[in-house]
Amino acid sequence: MKRPNKVIGYLFLSICAIISIFPFYWMVVSMTNTSADVTRGKLLPGGHFIENFKNLLQTVDLVPALSNSALIAVGTTVLSLLIASLAGYGFEIYRSRAKDVVFNILLLSMMIPFAALMVPLFRMFGSITPMLPFIGIDTLSAVVLPTITTAFLIFFFRQSTKMFPKEILEAGRMDGLKELGIFFRIYVPTMKTTYAAAAIITFMASWNNYLWPLVVLQSPEKQTIPLLISTLGSSYSPDYGMIMMAIVIATLPTAIIFFFMQKHFVAGMMGSVK
Amino acid sequence: MKKFLVLLFISMLVLSACSSGSNSEADADTNDIKVWAWDPNFNVKAMELAKEAYKEENSELNIEIIENAQDDIIQKLNTSLSSGTTKGMPNIVLIEDYRAQSFLRSYPDMFYAVDDAINTEEFAKYKIPPTSFEGKQYGVPFDSGVAGLYVRTDYLEEAGYSSEDLQNADWEQVIEIGKAVKEATGKQMITQDPKDLGLLRMMIQTSGAWYLEEDGVTPNIANNEALKEAFRLYKEMIDADLVKPHADWSQFIASINNGDISMVPSGNWITPSIKAEASQSGKWAVAPFPKLPGMESVNASNLGGSSWYVLNIPGKEKAAEFLGKTFGAEGKFHQQFVEEIGGVGTYQPALEGDAYQAEDEFFGGQKILSDFASWTEEIPQVNYGLHTYVIEDILANEIQKYLDGENLDTVMDNAQSLAEQQAK
Repeated sequence: MKRPNKVIGYLFLSICAIISIFPFYWMVVSMTNTSADVTRGKLLPGGHFIENFKNLLQTVDLVPALSNSALIAVGTTVLSLLIASLAGYGFEIYRSRAKDVVFNILLLSMMIPFAALMVPLFRMFGSITPMLPFIGIDTLSAVVLPTITTAFLIFFFRQSTKMFPKEILEAGRMDGLKELGIFFRIYVPTMKTTYAAAAIITFMASWNNYLWPLVVLQSPEKQTIPLLISTLGSSYSPDYGMIMMAIVIATLPTAIIFFFMQKHFVAGMMGSVK
Repeated sequence: MKKFLVLLFISMLVLSACSSGSNSEADADTNDIKVWAWDPNFNVKAMELAKEAYKEENSELNIEIIENAQDDIIQKLNTSLSSGTTKGMPNIVLIEDYRAQSFLRSYPDMFYAVDDAINTEEFAKYKIPPTSFEGKQYGVPFDSGVAGLYVRTDYLEEAGYSSEDLQNADWEQVIEIGKAVKEATGKQMITQDPKDLGLLRMMIQTSGAWYLEEDGVTPNIANNEALKEAFRLYKEMIDADLVKPHADWSQFIASINNGDISMVPSGNWITPSIKAEASQSGKWAVAPFPKLPGMESVNASNLGGSSWYVLNIPGKEKAAEFLGKTFGAEGKFHQQFVEEIGGVGTYQPALEGDAYQAEDEFFGGQKILSDFASWTEEIPQVNYGLHTYVIEDILANEIQKYLDGENLDTVMDNAQSLAEQQAK
């Protein structure tokens, strides 16, 4: 009786897989085709890979944009993991009623769309720019700072901390560790998979972030990869083969990171401590 | 730890307390001029030509042209201007004519008037209302966006017509030809994105009408005869299966290049995209834009088109002077703009130049630039006002109901009341 069910199940999953993989396939195939072939909907690889790549290198400065994106994404990931995990740990381990209220308010902030925060945020950065030009408008730090922690990430760490055995903390205290020592020496190593999952989420969000970098970064040499791709499409007659090439290059880092950390990611989403 | 937090709090307070100062650090006498524009092959290239041409005039001025997508420019401008922070803003920015009034009205202090730099009399008249505000001229009119009806002459011939039959034609005549061509060749007449009503915009401007009254604010839909006629003609085309739908820009270009359609009513900036398919050389012609039948209407219209604006930040005088002496004066820039880009400007003294007389083999030897230039002078002047795209979103929904068979007046009344609610 089980077999037909399984067949239907696999059929359904295969269809879902094709639907989700097809855009990637099309993207990769299109980077080897001419713009005209792309608009015609050609689905087979063509011979324009090298030409598209050359055109891309001639049209834009790919390397600075990639390194800007990498700097921002790594900076954001490191800082937000540190801050959000400290916060999530604090909220769960040192619980009090007042902290729960603060936490709930924090969760409410998840409901405010970024577009609503953008103008006040821009104003804030505009006004600190004359005094602190190194974190003001048109600096990479201005992209990193507003995103170094999110309510979601704090929530994510707090939920994972719930499964963290509190007895270990007591043991640590008995052995004379200070509170920060317990966090860094016991909590962090135990929660490795949670950190891995959080790192992937944050890195991807930061790498693909568009709206805030768009408004806060003004000079072309500070452009990130998504902004660069948007510029490529600004023409009345865009070169789609070249744009697809740029998109594939932009997708590679996140894809590589995801594949390397996939195992940890799944484990992290299920909970670090078994 | 507590001490650290207190320190942090105090430093934040100090920061916010002394942040009310303005951006005075910028040098008022700067020689660095930044420009934002979109499309590398047209707008950015034109600006580069102007930059080169201006070197003879003032070699000290350092002009940096930054390419951004149009939507990105709008987003960046809106955020910066509404937060009152001009840090990082360009000195010169390109804004589409349809959107200009909403920027000028929302942020009148942020733009610098260019009355002293250009003579508005020398530009095509229809460019002035969108680029000026409260009696002051803010925009330096740039490309014309003059519309034409691009036609496949080989398809027309198969149906026994020629592009001559489309001279000074109205839409009824064009639709008749479109039907005949479809019968003879099987090709539909035009391709259309159901959400983009550029075609209707071009149609109504031929009779000097717009979505808004002349004040640029009050919606003018329910009693807009030109718009009703445009709706009716659009339905006629749809009902006769003359319209091939497309979903995005790439499909639009593909339909043209693949030879799926016999006509393209569009702005002159579509020329390079049509010429991109070199194998169709000699098979195209450009006819004047068709007028609306049965009402006052001319064979000239406009689609898109944009102008340069100077922001009210240090460097504004020099930026305005640069624009005035290139885009707003006779000189080699205009000649190059035509020869190298194939653009049609709106600076009228230059429209007579030799460059416009060139014959284009792709269009069977037609002097298309000269034709576009002469149509530019006839484009009826309208005030695009504040809400072109807001109203267009409403109309794009309402027109579907009309195409599905609802009564035209009901649809228009409905659109009018929706527009009155949303466009304020």
